[in-house]
Amino acid sequence: MPDAYVFDAVRSPRGRGKKSGSLYATRPIDLLAQSLRALSSRNELDTSLVDDVVIGCVTQTGDQGACIARFAALEAGWDLDAPGVTLNRFCGSGLQAVNDAAAMVASGFYDCVVAGGVESMSRVAMGSDGGAIFDPSTLWNVGSVPQGISADLLATLGGITRDDCDRFAVQSQQRAASAIEAGRFSRSLIPVTDRLGLPVLEADEHPRPGTTVEALSELGASFETMGRQFGLDALTKERYPQVERIQHVHHAGNSSGIVDGAAAVLVATKEMGQSMGLTPRARIRSVGVVGTDPILMLSGPMPATRKALGKAGMQASDVDLWEVNEAFAAVPLAFIQELEVDPGTVNVNGGAIALGHPLGATGAMLLGTVLDALEDHDKQVGAVTLCIGGGMGIATILERV
Amino acid sequence: MNAATTTENQTVRLQFDAQTHVATLTLAMPKVNRIDAAFGVGLQQALDWAAAQEGLRGIIIDTAHRDFCVGADLDTLFPERDAGALLARVGHLAALYRRLETMSVPVVASLTGSALGGGYELALACHHRIALDDARVQVGLPEVTLGVLPGAGGTQRLPRLIGIQAALDIILQGKVLRAPKAKAAGLVDALAADREAVRQAALDFIAANPGAAQPWDRKGRMPGPRAGSGDARNLFMAACGMIEKKTAGAYQAPRVALATVQEGLAIEFDRALEVEARAFVQLAISDQAKDMIRTLWYHRNAAKKHEGLPHTDTPGIQKVSILGAGMMGAGLAFVCAKAGYDVVLRDIKEATLQTATAHCAAQAAKLRHLSEEDRNTLLGRIQTTLELEPMRGSDLIIEAVFENLELKHRVTQEAEPMLSDGGIWASNTSALPIGDLAKVSSNAKNFLGLHFFSPVEKMELLEVIVSEQTSESATARALAFTKRIGKLPIVVGDGYGFYTTRVFSAYILEGAQLVAEGHDPVLVEWAGRSAGMVVPPLQVFDEVTLSLGAKAFTMGRQYGRDLDLPGVSLVEKLVEDGRCGKAAGGGFYDYKDGRRRGLWEGLRAHAQGTPKDRSVEHLRDRLLGIQALEAARTVADGIIQRRRDAEVGAIFGVGFAPGTGGPLSYIDRMGLDAFVAQMDAFADQYGERYAVPRTLRQMAEHGDTFFEAV
Repeated sequence: MPDAYVFDAVRSPRGRGKKSGSLYATRPIDLLAQSLRALSSRNELDTSLVDDVVIGCVTQTGDQGACIARFAALEAGWDLDAPGVTLNRFCGSGLQAVNDAAAMVASGFYDCVVAGGVESMSRVAMGSDGGAIFDPSTLWNVGSVPQGISADLLATLGGITRDDCDRFAVQSQQRAASAIEAGRFSRSLIPVTDRLGLPVLEADEHPRPGTTVEALSELGASFETMGRQFGLDALTKERYPQVERIQHVHHAGNSSGIVDGAAAVLVATKEMGQSMGLTPRARIRSVGVVGTDPILMLSGPMPATRKALGKAGMQASDVDLWEVNEAFAAVPLAFIQELEVDPGTVNVNGGAIALGHPLGATGAMLLGTVLDALEDHDKQVGAVTLCIGGGMGIATILERV
Repeated sequence: MNAATTTENQTVRLQFDAQTHVATLTLAMPKVNRIDAAFGVGLQQALDWAAAQEGLRGIIIDTAHRDFCVGADLDTLFPERDAGALLARVGHLAALYRRLETMSVPVVASLTGSALGGGYELALACHHRIALDDARVQVGLPEVTLGVLPGAGGTQRLPRLIGIQAALDIILQGKVLRAPKAKAAGLVDALAADREAVRQAALDFIAANPGAAQPWDRKGRMPGPRAGSGDARNLFMAACGMIEKKTAGAYQAPRVALATVQEGLAIEFDRALEVEARAFVQLAISDQAKDMIRTLWYHRNAAKKHEGLPHTDTPGIQKVSILGAGMMGAGLAFVCAKAGYDVVLRDIKEATLQTATAHCAAQAAKLRHLSEEDRNTLLGRIQTTLELEPMRGSDLIIEAVFENLELKHRVTQEAEPMLSDGGIWASNTSALPIGDLAKVSSNAKNFLGLHFFSPVEKMELLEVIVSEQTSESATARALAFTKRIGKLPIVVGDGYGFYTTRVFSAYILEGAQLVAEGHDPVLVEWAGRSAGMVVPPLQVFDEVTLSLGAKAFTMGRQYGRDLDLPGVSLVEKLVEDGRCGKAAGGGFYDYKDGRRRGLWEGLRAHAQGTPKDRSVEHLRDRLLGIQALEAARTVADGIIQRRRDAEVGAIFGVGFAPGTGGPLSYIDRMGLDAFVAQMDAFADQYGERYAVPRTLRQMAEHGDTFFEAV
């Protein structure tokens, strides 16, 4: 069975996910098309050789409905013979797309698959695609709570305090600020332009570089009212009866930012890549996807990572750099705690707290981010992992070549 | 007026007015309008008849009785376990109501009496609801309080009529509202001053609305957030949270009701009724509904009606004196005055009397339906005094002084002469045997116990304790008193702790014992709540105070109760350290400014050992099991003289999990064999207090149950 190689990764800058955000006036199909076009043009890709385009997108309704992958590829001027498929595994969609591409290629059934993701949270609001996930029936029969409650529960179970979360958030901001200043995203970052070719957004606009712990400490806990007054904390009690009281520690300043963005990753066999005149940058060593308790929801990165490590015959200590999605500060903090990894190797260029988390695209972005960082620091092994709604987790381990 | 009465119709009287072209359907079942098979047949025939009236312009549905319609006949529903059969009956009724609202003429419900449950759902299937402007007329959907849900369209009509949030408020809490509030809430459309005005308003509506149709049969949006919108989703989620917060998952009905409202609103009305029907049947044939109906309907009604209890038409009680003007005495004074008694409230401290007076005034102020004059009359019936003499000629003296035998003896000797001829002496003791208290009485025939629960204005239960010497006549007269003050009586035999205190003590002691055994106090409390106990054990122990508990242990030892348990030592130690409970600012919990701040960190240090089975399930078995066992013992001891009293007393007196139907229902439901086996295992591992009484073991061996299986 052939190996799956990553040849290139590009991403758009993340625009603020509000009507005032820079990318609000850009259709998500165009946002994705620009990442795809950048990927194909800078690699001089013969897109008729692309077996499939696998794109993560969570809120597949409105502007993001109707299999955006296919029409974005065509919008990007790709060959009619480049089909597309759009997938939804919530926040893990972007990495799921990469993992699918890798598995497709490694299976021997496909030679070249482009993975990626897109999410315009300013135009298509999170949750606007409905679903039964918060139906009373689901809450009673399966168990479900809003993510913020899960995040605060995760913090409570791990003894992670408000101060811990706020300090982590400031660190994310500081690392992102210095990465941006040092141009460490420049290899992958493709500015978004308008139909006139003029730049619409050239850099991530969500970061707040001057953030201090003092300033964050002023913010009220976002999920306290819904948790205590509206009783949503009570919905966790049946599964976690030993928790007397959930400590509400998260707020907008220590949780992932709501943003717009797109990304694309080129995955192929070594032979196919070489025949296209391309040099591989990394090999996908292994992947892992797991299901865990939907009420705690956000603890998936740990077992997913362990699964991927196991498949690769590796230990956590074998990984040089980590990208653990900062959905909420407690997530990477709990991950670091449980897997006992060096915090200095996690999210070295900042994370979603500073940069934002465009739901369907993030996983694909993080892959490019960790690959760039490995090359920057001349390290070998990187791992990307994200927590996922519904209590899932996903991980990918890659090795530079 | 053309009267056209169908003689075969046992349910509905039919009249057609040739001038207004309005058909009047008068619900006139034999005694009370209740929904059963005959109701269905009668209503169907009535609709057939109305549809056949030439030039029909409208229909009025009214009642020949005091009530409009009080809901489903539980005698048919209670034994039903066949889902298919029940679904068919429910479907038939739903189709009838549907037909009513789609007859192409306006239909008006004339609510001159109460419309409850299915009866209110009939009104909902009319285009317009007019109620008599009278607080005695009540409307609502109380089904969840009996473990079911509105199964005749209520879960689908009410939200479409008044919006999701307002409908959930009624349905999930089983609310019943008096007419004026019902109008404010949108449950009825209009109020009218008297029967004639109601009828006229109905005729006016018909004349003005020839093309009347229900909102769900017309284009347009329901009030409030649209079903399926983000706002609606948030409403439902908040409702889930509130249910869980209040009931800890102990009840099925509110959960299923909520899911039914949400699921039905996602689809069109006729098919939504199918969703409701299935959900209704699921609940109605469930164990929990059976157990709740048995106790909360049948047993409670029987107790309220004093079935099988001594009765007298001449109670001869008008003047009531109360000794002790603390919280209980003050509350008693108010309750008696409200019932029209002349009250003398005596204490030895002026300050206490003043607090009591203020309390009564505050309580009177809450009765907003009374005029200022009436309120003053009520309060005027209460005389406070430091003296004995004003008590002279009392027909009933209620002794509510501190729980101390010597003190009670002294007070009895001092005040008993103030009784009128044949007057009754009642002690509010919660545990001291009446026989012991009566030792100093000059007339033990007229000496009994009236054990009230705090706060006495709110708590319905009254435990009436009769000693071996108490006469039946005294009991009958005391019961007449309990009826007049609106209490729910159980009549039990004499013995330390009687019934409710024995069960309650077993509960809170077991809570302390579990902590002493090393169980996580957080799990102990969760076990209590999730088992359905109204208040978890450590919390309620704090509320009654640990010092009271410690006193009770001391007293219990005098009555031969073996209390050599780590849980007892734990409580005594906490009291020694000043952690006496809520009033002391700390007990099992910490308190700040009177509010509970969480379980005390130091509890774990008082635990000895590591429990084998740490599961929440085990803790639930222990907490409910010890109470059920105690209840079974009181049956064996003859304290409980009728089994309904064990259920009613436990639920309404000490908050035993209402969803189980009561401690004896709990045993029946588990199966006596299984319960005895579990208690035997607990006795082996956890001590003598789990010893199964012989009679219970024999019942198990004979395959007997406490109640008829259903």
